Amino acid sequence: MQHFALTIIGRDHPGIVSQVTEILYKLGCNIADSSCSILGGQFSMILIISNPEISCKEDFGDSFAALEESNLSVYIRTLKPGGELRPELEGDLCMISVYGADQPGIVYQVAKELGDRKINITDLNTKLIGEKNRPVYVMMIEALLPEGIEIETVEGWMAELKQRLQVDISVRSLLAVEL
Amino acid sequence: MAIKEVLLYPDSRLKEICARIDEFDDSAGKLLQDLVDTMLAAGHSVGVAAPQIGAVRRAVVVDVSNSKLGKKQKNHGLLQMINPEIIEKSGDQVVREGCMSVPDYTGNVNRAERIVVQFSDPQGNLQVISAEGFEAIAIQHELDHLDGLLFLDRVSSLKTDLYRRKQK
Repeated sequence: MQHFALTIIGRDHPGIVSQVTEILYKLGCNIADSSCSILGGQFSMILIISNPEISCKEDFGDSFAALEESNLSVYIRTLKPGGELRPELEGDLCMISVYGADQPGIVYQVAKELGDRKINITDLNTKLIGEKNRPVYVMMIEALLPEGIEIETVEGWMAELKQRLQVDISVRSLLAVEL
Repeated sequence: MAIKEVLLYPDSRLKEICARIDEFDDSAGKLLQDLVDTMLAAGHSVGVAAPQIGAVRRAVVVDVSNSKLGKKQKNHGLLQMINPEIIEKSGDQVVREGCMSVPDYTGNVNRAERIVVQFSDPQGNLQVISAEGFEAIAIQHELDHLDGLLFLDRVSSLKTDLYRRKQK
């Protein structure tokens, strides 16, 4: 079955989820995976959807027009076959906390250390907190460490960055225990 | 002596309140043995509760002594518990749990850091032990199964720490 990624963003207010999912329900769409959250004042929804009757984007027609009219931005992306399947992720999860005085490039420089070493970031979120005149940037990264790469290894990579950016970075293992 | 199939949700037996075991007969002994066999066969498992193998009776086995996390901490090795009850709880800890009966999903759960548990051993003798850390987590998780509760009923946070992946 063809799957689509549906992204919806707009000023947060109660009722967005029900407005969106009513349309999907009436269309006969399945919601396979989804993640929705408030970012700044915006509510953002990302959903992987499918519908046995719908094989291309155009089939949705003007189904989402009502959302656009209520100031939500709607974007649909057609997934390539298999794009809805989660890859088998091997390795041990770790959590990296980065926080310090706000400055340009925190996300990029930390992500580069990981990306250059082919470390897969599986979740990331950032938040600007603190007082207006002393903003603090907080970033939480969940990453998958392949076999042979230990927490200490990652700490080593981050040590130099910590100095250079003058931020605090801590790395810890995030064992999910199967019971 | 048998390795049993671990039931997966939505099997309704996972949502039942299990019955107390009052007769310490062969069937109770066999149930405990099946639980141990099933736990060992699932190499990564540190505990199994009776309803997970289809027996809606109040019995669980727990053994954290072979797990990566558990072996570094104080533990009681293999525990075979009949009619277990937590009689004291203190402290708080958060751990990301998964469950053999709910594959491919993990979530952060708040558990007590230290517990005192009362139970009958396989011979029917009343035992009281105190457990902490990972062993306490495992016991609380397995005991929940006896009341039809899954870790999904206890997930404590979504933002920044609810994830969907399983550790091998």
